[in-house]
Amino acid sequence: MMDSPPALALEDVSKRFGRVQAVDRLSLRVEPGHLAGFLGPNGAGKSTTLYMIPRLVRPTRGHISLFGVDIWNDYKKAIRSVGITVETPAFYEYLSGRKNLELAARLLDHVSAHEIDEILERIGLAERQHDCVRVYSTGMKQRLGIGRALLGRPRLLILDEPTNGMDPEGTHEILSFLREKVRNDGLTIFISSHLMSEIEEFCDTVFVINQGHLVVSGSVKELLKPHERIVRVTFQGRIPDRDFLSRHEQIRKVEPVTADTLEITLARDDSAWLNQCLQQAGFSVSALAPKQKTLKEFFLSITGLHRAEVTPLSDQASTAPAGEKHHE
Amino acid sequence: MSSQFVPLLRNEVTKALRRKLPYFGIFAVGLVCGIIYFIAGQINNTATANAWGYVGFSMQLVFTDIGPIAIIAFAAMLVAEETGTGTIRAALAAPVQRWELYLAKTVIGLFYMLVLSAAALLFSAALASIHYHFGAVGDSAGVVYSRNQAMQQFVLGYALSWIPLGALVMFGLLISTLVRNPGVAVAVGIGTLFLIDFTKHLVGLDPYIFTRYLNYSWLTLQQLAQGMDYQWRPEVWKMIVLSGVSAVVAFSAGLVLFVRRDLNH
Repeated sequence: MMDSPPALALEDVSKRFGRVQAVDRLSLRVEPGHLAGFLGPNGAGKSTTLYMIPRLVRPTRGHISLFGVDIWNDYKKAIRSVGITVETPAFYEYLSGRKNLELAARLLDHVSAHEIDEILERIGLAERQHDCVRVYSTGMKQRLGIGRALLGRPRLLILDEPTNGMDPEGTHEILSFLREKVRNDGLTIFISSHLMSEIEEFCDTVFVINQGHLVVSGSVKELLKPHERIVRVTFQGRIPDRDFLSRHEQIRKVEPVTADTLEITLARDDSAWLNQCLQQAGFSVSALAPKQKTLKEFFLSITGLHRAEVTPLSDQASTAPAGEKHHE
Repeated sequence: MSSQFVPLLRNEVTKALRRKLPYFGIFAVGLVCGIIYFIAGQINNTATANAWGYVGFSMQLVFTDIGPIAIIAFAAMLVAEETGTGTIRAALAAPVQRWELYLAKTVIGLFYMLVLSAAALLFSAALASIHYHFGAVGDSAGVVYSRNQAMQQFVLGYALSWIPLGALVMFGLLISTLVRNPGVAVAVGIGTLFLIDFTKHLVGLDPYIFTRYLNYSWLTLQQLAQGMDYQWRPEVWKMIVLSGVSAVVAFSAGLVLFVRRDLNH
C-alpha cells in the first residue's frame, strides 16, 4: 500500500525580502491526522512561512505541497481541502458575520446554508450572526475566523494565533472543539501560537523556527522528557544549607522552590547519588524526582532567548561564572 | 475546478451594494445635475435651447468633474481597501486565482461606471423633460435632424462616452493596486486626475492623454442639438485608440502587479 502524502510539506523553502532572509531552507512535514504546533520568537519567519502556504508570499526557492499537490502547479486543487487563517482574521466589517461566511462559502464547493448554521452554532456565534462584524469583539472575530476556515469541511486547518484575544473559557471551548474535529473527522491541524501552554496541551508534534531556520522538531512528549540533571527534592524537617551543597562538585546550582523544596542541578544524571548523599548527611528526603520540562522553558532554551533565571550555586557562593543554561 | 470568476463577481456585487461610497457617488451626480438645472435656467444659451441640448450640456458638466471623481474613487478603493484591511488575504486563501479576483474587480468597476453614467443620464433627461421636449432638432429654416436621428446619435454618443470612462476605471484600479491604504489610494487617484488635467496643456501632452475625451461625446452632441454640422470622425478614432491603449496598459500593469506582489502586509 502506498504511503499517504503529508498533509503539509515544505521542502527547502526560502524567502528573502531585500537584504532580509526571512526564511532559510526550511523543510518540514505534517502528517495527516496530526496536531502540529509551530513556534518561534517574533521575527523568526513564522508568519512569512504561513503566508507562503496560500501563495500570499512567493518563496525565493523551494516547494510547498498540500496532500501531495504542489501549490505552484495546481493551487486550486491543493488549497481546496485546506482552511487557513493568517494573522488576525480580517472581515468585511460592514457585513454581518453570517454574510462574511456566505461570501467565503461561495468560493468553495457545495457549502450548504445548513453547514454555515452548524459552524455558527459550534463557534458560539449563532445568536450574533446577523450583527455587523464591526461590533464584534476580537475574540468573536477570532472565532469567526476559525469558522471561516472550517467551511467546506477541510482536511487540513492552518491557524495563526487562533485564540488571540479570546477569554480562557472561549479558548478552552474552541480548542476542545478542534480536538473533537481531529478525533472524529481525522482533521490535521497546523497551529502557530505564542502561547506555549496552548501548544503543549493541544499539539502532539511541534516545530520550532528561529531566524528562518527550523531549530527543532519532534513529538511534544519526546521534547518534554523530564530533565535528567535537574532534580526537585522535598525534605521533611531541616533542609541542607548553602555550605553543605557547595562542598559537592557534582552539584552545580540550587534554587529554593518552596520552604521545604529545592531544585538541584547536577553535573551528571545521578539522582541516586544525590539521594544517598543527602541521606548520609542526615537529611530526611520525602520526595525526589526529575523536574518536568515545560514547553516554554524548552522553547526559550533552544531559541537562545533564555538567560538562566535560577541563581547558580556558584554565584550564591560567589565563585563561579553565571548564566548556564538548563538544557543540553 | 472551474473558474471562480462568477462567484467572485457575485461577492463584489454584494459588497458594493452594502457600501456607502457607491451610493454617495450617485447622490453627488444627482446633486450636480440639480445644480446644473438651476444654472441652465439662468444662462439660457443656445446649448440648452432644447431637451437634447440640455442633456448634452448637463452630461458634459457631470463628466468634467464629479463623474470621473466618483468613478476613480470607487475603482481606487476596490483593491486598496481589501489590502489595507487584510480581507484580500482571506479571499486569496480560497481556491481562487489572483487574476480571477482582479478580473472580478475590474468588471464591478466597469459596472459601477455604467450605473453612474446611466444615473447621470436619467437625472439629466428627467430634468430636461420639465421644460423641453425630446423632439426634432431644427432652426429657423426647418427640421435639421429628426427625433429618431437625434435619438440614434445620442445613444451612439452615450455608448462612446463609456470608452474613456472605462480607461479611467482601469487607471483607478492600477492606483488601487499600487497603494495599500484605501484613503491614500482615493486621494492619489483624484489628485492625479486633477494634476494631469491642469498640466497636460502646459507640457504639451494633451493630445496623448485619454482624459481629454471624458466629455468629448457630449460636446459633440451639443453641436447636434444646436442643429450644427457635427462630426464624430476623425476625432472619435483617436478617442477609441487612445482610451483603448490606456485601458489595456493600465489593466495589464495592474494585473501583473497584483498577481506578482507579496501580500504579507
